[in-house]
Amino acid sequence: MITRLVLLAAFGLGISTSTVGAIEPIKTVASFSILADITKQIGGDRVSVDTLVGPEEDAHVYDPTPRDAVKIAVAKLVVINGLGFEGWIDRLIKLSAGAPKVTIASDGIVSHQTTIEGHERTDPHAWQDLRNVQIYARNIAESLIQIDPDHETLYRANLARYTEELATLDQDIRSAISAIPAERRKIVTTHDAFGYFAQAYGIEMIAPQGVSTEAEASAKDVARIIRQVKSEKIPAVFLENVSDHRLAERIATESGARMGGKLYSDALSKENAPAGTYIAMMKTNIRELTKALMP
Amino acid sequence: MTTPSDLYDLVIGPFAEFAFMRRGLVGVLALSLGAGPIGVFLMLRRMSLVGDAMAHAILPGAALGYLVAGLSLGFMTAGGLIAGFVVALLAGLVTRVTVLKEDAALASFYLISLAGGVVLVSLRGSNVDLLHVLFGSVLALDDPTLLMLGASASISLVVLAVLFRPLVLECVDPLFLRTVGKSGSVTHLGFLALVVLNLVAGFHALGTLLSVGLMMLPAFAARFWSATLEGMMAVATLVGIMSGCLGIILSYHLGTPTGPTIILCAGAIYLVSILIGRRNGLLIRFLPRAHLSA
Amino acid sequence: MRNRSNAITVRDLTLGYDRHPAVHHLDGCFAAGSLTAIIGPNGAGKSTLLKALAGTLPPLSGSVSFEGSKAKIAYLPQSADIDHDFPISVEDLVTTGLWQKTGPFGAFSQHDRTTVLEALDRVGLTGFEARILGTLSGGQLQRVLFARLMVQGADIILIDEPFAAIDTKTVRDLMHLVRHWHGEGRTILAVLHDMALVEEYFPDCLMLAREPVAWGKTSDVLTADHLAQARAMIEANDPHADLCERAA
Repeated sequence: MITRLVLLAAFGLGISTSTVGAIEPIKTVASFSILADITKQIGGDRVSVDTLVGPEEDAHVYDPTPRDAVKIAVAKLVVINGLGFEGWIDRLIKLSAGAPKVTIASDGIVSHQTTIEGHERTDPHAWQDLRNVQIYARNIAESLIQIDPDHETLYRANLARYTEELATLDQDIRSAISAIPAERRKIVTTHDAFGYFAQAYGIEMIAPQGVSTEAEASAKDVARIIRQVKSEKIPAVFLENVSDHRLAERIATESGARMGGKLYSDALSKENAPAGTYIAMMKTNIRELTKALMP
Repeated sequence: MTTPSDLYDLVIGPFAEFAFMRRGLVGVLALSLGAGPIGVFLMLRRMSLVGDAMAHAILPGAALGYLVAGLSLGFMTAGGLIAGFVVALLAGLVTRVTVLKEDAALASFYLISLAGGVVLVSLRGSNVDLLHVLFGSVLALDDPTLLMLGASASISLVVLAVLFRPLVLECVDPLFLRTVGKSGSVTHLGFLALVVLNLVAGFHALGTLLSVGLMMLPAFAARFWSATLEGMMAVATLVGIMSGCLGIILSYHLGTPTGPTIILCAGAIYLVSILIGRRNGLLIRFLPRAHLSA
Repeated sequence: MRNRSNAITVRDLTLGYDRHPAVHHLDGCFAAGSLTAIIGPNGAGKSTLLKALAGTLPPLSGSVSFEGSKAKIAYLPQSADIDHDFPISVEDLVTTGLWQKTGPFGAFSQHDRTTVLEALDRVGLTGFEARILGTLSGGQLQRVLFARLMVQGADIILIDEPFAAIDTKTVRDLMHLVRHWHGEGRTILAVLHDMALVEEYFPDCLMLAREPVAWGKTSDVLTADHLAQARAMIEANDPHADLCERAA
């Protein structure tokens, strides 16, 4: 008698969990805000996305917490960028007992080398080229389909729509830039994250030597960057990362360049600000660029 | 052999080529005019550490400015000034009216002020390093900042000239001053107000290190070159200007951060003064010289 | 007999710190033009009395009054308060004595400068005008302070223990100066420890041991009985003292 009741209960439980499993969204963890947004675009209501490095946070200096390990442990899908962007993620995934599916969003893109802090590395900021993000979206869609094949149609539809949006934006960016006279397509920026953008869309990104975020500037560095901007006739400087805003202004004034606005490189902004989604972020960036570079 | 044109390239050229270099020099000049004499008085009154204390005391004022108007430099500077004045006033009052001496009174209020500032900043939520935002760089002096430095220097010189006699007497023989006149309190507070003005103007334009350093180190060096008050003030101003010139040029050629370089130059001049200063310099003391007949 | 007015009148004066009396119910007056020594054991309240007369210490009870509303008072405290390291010249320090005349902003006339130089000459310090304070010996500094007293040109002069650790020659010279001021008709009070000096130079004397022991001509005041009495009256502050019951 007891045995039959237990079996009945287990059966009932089994059915309910599977039905619950069918309704409950797929627990997903994205390593940073941009990936989280792309994942939501593809997965829609079918995914519930947790982000490790949130909006306006810095992935380069991110220190994972025990809570992050818990998030990964209960996740079905983990989306990471790869290309060495998340140096801290491997350990977390290894420690996780849940064995989630790990998707490297950048699988399949063409990467290039760059110098980061004096070392030759693979540049991980591939999302700055919209065509790469089409690949990101496809990789994520494939993973979702593998985990949840019942909703393949939904995922494919979202992917198609999103790819279309990306393609349109890609075109818009190219038109905007072609409207800028060729000799004006260069900026000085402290960001080292725009390599893919530069390559894809033809804006030269020049790094100011020495004038950085942390260290206090020297007269030599300031003189050098002013000379550089003047001699190469660089139309705009984007230095909002420089710790002293006034120093950035002085450099701009004295070199005759325009002060550029804020460019988003590694993270989305908070929701109410102009770069709450990936597409909004790229639109903001191109808007700031054209504003600064158009004669 | 360095030709005159080499010398030009080395020393004058950079200033000729870059406006920010010229502005930096003018800024340091203006600051030295006010800070030099004030630093001498601070040193003679054994208040040499006041500058550092003041840097922390102005935090709640800047914090209030931040709470009211966000990252507005104008509001934050004004708030800082007010906080500095209030702390100086309260410290002066406590010194005069209670048994606590100047150092204890000032320390008490700067500690309270600093703690209050930290709490105020946390109220807004974000982890902004307010003081870092507030303090500027000698390489980034825009027009309003230069004007402020100039105004601060002018006000300081005028007030010092007016308050000179009471200030001196208040330093030398405060009891005598109390028995012959009533200007003691006003003088004391007026002097503290000048200190706050110069410090806050200096912080805003040049950062804490440069502001306090340029006020005190030249005064310490002046001790070894002059025995009179007027002489010390003149030497201090001169040393400040020299440190500025030397520091900016060195920062230009060597690529070292400008503010600390200027202070290191001032420090070097100070160390050299200890050794070879005409008054009380160490070498002078140890080198045998014929004594006078009377 | 000359009708002598009283330069300073003290009525039932009680002075003290933290409500413990240092001077207890002092009553009397200092005649105009008098030269009075104030003596007594340590802790007798002598310096405290001068502080009150100079106006820097408010009374716990009783009052101090001066003849004439514009009594000019010069006060020389025990030297501890002067910052010896301050880079001020002898001439400048003596010149501050003119403060009551010129105020903090008034200009100095040629006459003023002459006054200062004459005062320096009087104390035997001609040639010391440019010397910085820190280079002076104890005796020289005391002379400078007396020169400043002179320059103040006050009617009432209060001097507190001016001769502690000062060389004999300086003491003699400065006492001659005091006598000269006395001859000019000024009222002078001096706190002293040296009984020989008191006997030699001071016609009047007030012996204080928190309460007045004796007040009058020096020869009457300086007796063995009075000295013994004074010594007996000085004890430490009683921490459990009751409120003073004596009628005002």
